[in-house]
Amino acid sequence: MRSLTLHLKILITILVVLGISVTAYQIFVLGIPVTEDATDDLWNIDAKVEFVANPKDPVKIQMFVPPLSRDFVSLNESFISNNYGVSVNRIDGNRKVTWSARRAKGNQTLYYRLVLTKRYSGEKVKVKGPTFRDSIAVEGPEKIAAEALLAPIRQHSADVETFITEAIKRTNNLNDDNVKLLLAGDPSTPHKAKIVELLLSIAHVPVEKVHTIRLVADQPQTPELWLRSFNGNDWLYFNPETGEQGLPADRLLWWTGDENLITVEGGKKAMVTFSLNNSEMNAIRLAKLTDENTDANFLEYSLYGLPLQTQQTFMIMVMIPIGVLVILILRNLIGLQTLGTFTPVLIALAFRETQLGFGIVLFTIITALGLSLRSYLEHLKLQMLPRLSVVLTFVVVLIAAISLFSHKLGLERGLSVALFPMVILTMTIERLSITWEERGANHALKVAIGTLFAASLAHLIMSVPELIYFVFTFPAILLILVGFMLAMGRYRGYRLTELVRFKAFLKADR
Amino acid sequence: MFGFWKTWKALEARGIMGINRRNADYVLKYNKRSLYPIVDDKIITKERALAAGIHVPEMYGVISTEKEIDKLDEIIGGRSDFVIKPAQGAGGDGILVVADRFEGRYRTVSGKIISHEEIEHQISSILTGLYSLGGHRDRALIEYRVVPDQIFKSISYEGVPDIRIIVLMGYPVMAMLRLPTRQSGGKANLHQGAIGVGVDLATGLTLRGTWLNNIITKHPDTTNAVDGVQLPNWDGFMKLAAGCYELCGLGYIGVDMVLDQEKGPLILELNARPGLNIQIANDCGLTLRTHAVEARLEALNAAGVTETPEERVKFVQEMFGHIPPVEG
Repeated sequence: MRSLTLHLKILITILVVLGISVTAYQIFVLGIPVTEDATDDLWNIDAKVEFVANPKDPVKIQMFVPPLSRDFVSLNESFISNNYGVSVNRIDGNRKVTWSARRAKGNQTLYYRLVLTKRYSGEKVKVKGPTFRDSIAVEGPEKIAAEALLAPIRQHSADVETFITEAIKRTNNLNDDNVKLLLAGDPSTPHKAKIVELLLSIAHVPVEKVHTIRLVADQPQTPELWLRSFNGNDWLYFNPETGEQGLPADRLLWWTGDENLITVEGGKKAMVTFSLNNSEMNAIRLAKLTDENTDANFLEYSLYGLPLQTQQTFMIMVMIPIGVLVILILRNLIGLQTLGTFTPVLIALAFRETQLGFGIVLFTIITALGLSLRSYLEHLKLQMLPRLSVVLTFVVVLIAAISLFSHKLGLERGLSVALFPMVILTMTIERLSITWEERGANHALKVAIGTLFAASLAHLIMSVPELIYFVFTFPAILLILVGFMLAMGRYRGYRLTELVRFKAFLKADR
Repeated sequence: MFGFWKTWKALEARGIMGINRRNADYVLKYNKRSLYPIVDDKIITKERALAAGIHVPEMYGVISTEKEIDKLDEIIGGRSDFVIKPAQGAGGDGILVVADRFEGRYRTVSGKIISHEEIEHQISSILTGLYSLGGHRDRALIEYRVVPDQIFKSISYEGVPDIRIIVLMGYPVMAMLRLPTRQSGGKANLHQGAIGVGVDLATGLTLRGTWLNNIITKHPDTTNAVDGVQLPNWDGFMKLAAGCYELCGLGYIGVDMVLDQEKGPLILELNARPGLNIQIANDCGLTLRTHAVEARLEALNAAGVTETPEERVKFVQEMFGHIPPVEG
């Protein structure tokens, strides 16, 4: 006996631990949202390209588009252009779209639209980058100025990271004579970045220009310049104005390098305007979309991998154990009396079709009529199978009649009755009538009400959308459920109704 | 909520057994599924009892096919009273009690006159499974009609009062006298409204009773006191009940017995899931007693000894018997 208990305890522990760890893995490692309502930002970025085409030349426009390598994932990308050929190719970690047309005239407008979202999975992809570069050759006063600037930078820095920060800070000190000389009267950000690059190149530290777009809705913007350097493991990003390190999360890397965003052949006055807006999306649908567009298929082996129709069936199926749990608690902990063990769950499933209120009314009417038929059949002393067949047929006819009447009366709800499982009703009638005969009308009524109550409660709980989502997304919860059910299997405390039943003992004490 | 908790603690302190505990610790633990047919089929129970030398109402015959119905006359012989029962019936359904013959017809115990054909139809119904739970084919059992001892006349209403003893591994742990009432329609099932009256295991003196979960001292129909009645031949009942363990092999059973006017204590049937209201009738929790018996069994096991039914009865009578009468 004791070994059995130990066995059971171990089994329960294993199941619960397994259930919790699988669910925790899904939530914390795979990042699957816990509720359906958890939404994620979905960014819609439009880049509008405008230019004036030369009347006679073929037109070729090249524009950088985001490489989408790491933190973001594209859900949809489109190139909207009439009469232009489109091709996208990758060059040195950048992506470039080329629009081309043999002939174009006047003002031209092209669109690039990108829908993206933050990447779900936290896996880091290994990145590569240069850690050494040759010095840019400088001569004369610039060389002296650069070296004069570098000396204190070296002194105030400990590693590559601080070295770059320091270099940027020094370059932004416009009162410094050396800086003034190097800037040569052009304190624009790109120029400053160029000076920083020069300074760092003398120290053989490679930096790269990074052009980013800020993910902010409804604000006109131009690509923002950042600098980045590879420290051997990862890219470090620096603000060329302040020397601040680290790229804010809302920056989307558009392209890297010195080239311009757009180059136009056979046209002039090229201009790119960005417009962004964001929308929210049901997180799991988003995850699914993301899934289709990436290799990370964490949903592949979940129930979401099933065809949509099967998914809907499973959404009902995974809730059945929850319904059974409700019955288990009602029967073994509370002590409610129901017809059979799982009849209430089946009735609860039937309520799905009819809605609760209407379902209860139907159930009551059909069962009452069925019972009167059954009591009439009792006089005929029929055997069980023919008797059940008669009751079933009667139930079908009854349902047909109710459907017809309600349809004539214009109550469409009545038609849902057709799907109300007839076998469940027949069995309910049969069992109820046996109970009636064996234990009296009172008891039968009590049991019938108990069954209806249990079915209603099970139905209500089984149709909580958050719960359906949760169980469907994290089916390992069912293991925890089994653990609880196993524990209930050896529960030997009182049922709540027994406390009332045995009240006589307490009265005797007083 | 707090009130429930207090009730819970109070019941626990008194050793009251709940359904969950009965199922988990006793029915599932001591009763092997494969042995259930022995108690579910009254014919098998009877055959086993006869083989073990335990007193049961005499079986006149069994009818198991339609063809055998022709043998009914032969089975009844010249007897004027007998009982026809379904072997696997439940709740007392389908039982026909014939008390007398009347001009070629039969008179039932309730006074109705029926013909031979009607009896044959009743048997045919039994065979088709009309009264057996689940509608399985059944057998009809024709047996001796029990005439209850006169002692019960004053405290019962119609029907046959019976004595239910709960037996754990051959140790009777609690006993109750079940008295039919007008409400129970002559049946002795407590949930149908019969009265349960506790019985002192040592003396056979009745204690107070329970009726619909309440504690009572008088029969609601006859208003005679139900407590303080001395049941005759009590030790016979105890030995009979204790012997049922060897008979069926089930460790936790309710043994239903009757006291026949002439034949004394007889076993009617065994129940593998005896109810819990016997606790109210005895004003005592079952758990305390079953634990005491389990402790005894463990001690005996360690010593490698097994007790005879007589020794077991002696043990429980010393252990649980001689309850001082309660005032009020």
